[in-house]
Amino acid sequence: MPGQELYNVPGLRFLAPLLPFTLAIIGTAIANFPISFTGGFLPAPLFGLMPVYFWGLLRPDLMPPWAALLVGLTEDLLSGGAPGIWAVSFVASYIFIDRQRDSLAGLASYGAILGFAAALLVAAGTAFAVVAVYYWRLPPVAPVIVALAVNVVWYIPALWFMNKVQHHFVGPLRSDF
Amino acid sequence: MANGSLRLARNRSGAPISLAVCAVLAVILVLLGRVQPTLFDRARAYASDRAAPALETMRLPLRAADAWIGNLADIFNVYRENMQLKEQNARLRQWQNAALALEQRLKRYRLLLNAVPDPELGNVTAHVIGRSNRPFLNTMILDAGRRQQVKPGEAVVDDRGMIGRIFLTGDHTSWVILLTDLNSRIPVSIEPGNVQAILAGDNSVAPLLEISGQGVHLRAGQQIVTSGDGALLPAGLSVGKVFWDGSDFRAGLYADSGHSDDVRVLDLKLPAEKLPSVSAGDLPVTAAGLAPLTPPPPKVTQPALQPSTAASPTDAAKLSAPARPTVAQQTPAAAAKPPAHQPPPAPDETPDDQ
Repeated sequence: MPGQELYNVPGLRFLAPLLPFTLAIIGTAIANFPISFTGGFLPAPLFGLMPVYFWGLLRPDLMPPWAALLVGLTEDLLSGGAPGIWAVSFVASYIFIDRQRDSLAGLASYGAILGFAAALLVAAGTAFAVVAVYYWRLPPVAPVIVALAVNVVWYIPALWFMNKVQHHFVGPLRSDF
Repeated sequence: MANGSLRLARNRSGAPISLAVCAVLAVILVLLGRVQPTLFDRARAYASDRAAPALETMRLPLRAADAWIGNLADIFNVYRENMQLKEQNARLRQWQNAALALEQRLKRYRLLLNAVPDPELGNVTAHVIGRSNRPFLNTMILDAGRRQQVKPGEAVVDDRGMIGRIFLTGDHTSWVILLTDLNSRIPVSIEPGNVQAILAGDNSVAPLLEISGQGVHLRAGQQIVTSGDGALLPAGLSVGKVFWDGSDFRAGLYADSGHSDDVRVLDLKLPAEKLPSVSAGDLPVTAAGLAPLTPPPPKVTQPALQPSTAASPTDAAKLSAPARPTVAQQTPAAAAKPPAHQPPPAPDETPDDQ
């Protein structure tokens, strides 16, 4: 019916809980499609981390820790890098989100973007540390900083999109009413 | 556009336990990846083979857009670039003539010296259908795979120099690890001086030169080529130039991996060395010109005949009975002597004439 949200439609209600994880997997696949519009100058954003952060904050029942692990594993698989680096980074970011949920949820406007930047910094820092130990040398910091900036910029339209999905398709937790 | 406008949900499941379990699983995965780096290779090759048609479809419009955008800036510099290109063309023609003369001279010298010819190089031309630029990874995807005889470890070059190496092949696609990638380490030689070094990528635009020799002095502008050590890569492929960045010597690469669209995959066709079969002439003794010793004649041992040891009475009778004298033994001297217990002579024995 017009104006009726997906989570209120009886036949389609079961799809709502699958959306956050599905969007994270789709985002990972899109980000790892090896097409660069900048000739490889700018790195691809971590589209998989954005739903993990967003729904890990708002609906941890729909984005549990194992979902963050699987999304990270998908990122490892499609990116071509050493296995496990992004899986452990996404889980580390989820731990940060879980510990700071009250602080991060209270952020509004630009603060929301800064919250994501903090979670992204945890993920990137973990990946940096793992890569340094993995190859036993320090990788350059400049590509990581550029990747952080690219991801923060892309989070702005992604946040708008995820808000729409949350309002119209996913909805709040039933027991919160 | 704020997280605070949405109702916050509390995780009612056993979050700390599942979080700890996931963290442990992630660490195990990292360790497993360290032990088995090719864990995901088959899945990646399968994914790139399936995505190859879509990548090829998107490549052409992207390439056209890239060329169009690049041409926009060139419109303002057409006259100046034209003059520069004419000057470069004239200089290059002079170098071309000199290079041809030097090549002929080199061929004559090789013939005179009976030099071992360079190994044959096969090549496959491929198009770049994808690029992946990550903070810790720099790869390309080519539209040639096992069906086109591409194998892991082969060098990838463009018209300017070496770009990288194949590290994963599917049926129709291959993944290239660029020289700038953190995982890339190749043996190189710095000319002049034939200084051996390792070109180690660190995800920067200029890979690091690791020199193991002591007392080596490098200068900016020296040429870097592949050394061919280990017979993994062909020797003599152009890589770049040496420059000093203030703390280390690095390589300014000739190839531009961000804009190369058509590349060649080089197959170093070195046949596997076969061990020669060993012959008698390979023995150290014969190699020194000495005749081998003749083996000593075999000793004939006579078995001791004992009556008590006979197995049966007939055997004992045979053993105790005197041997039938032969014709040669029928002499007075032989007849006077009691016959000794001797085994009957063999048919081919010639009796001694006494």
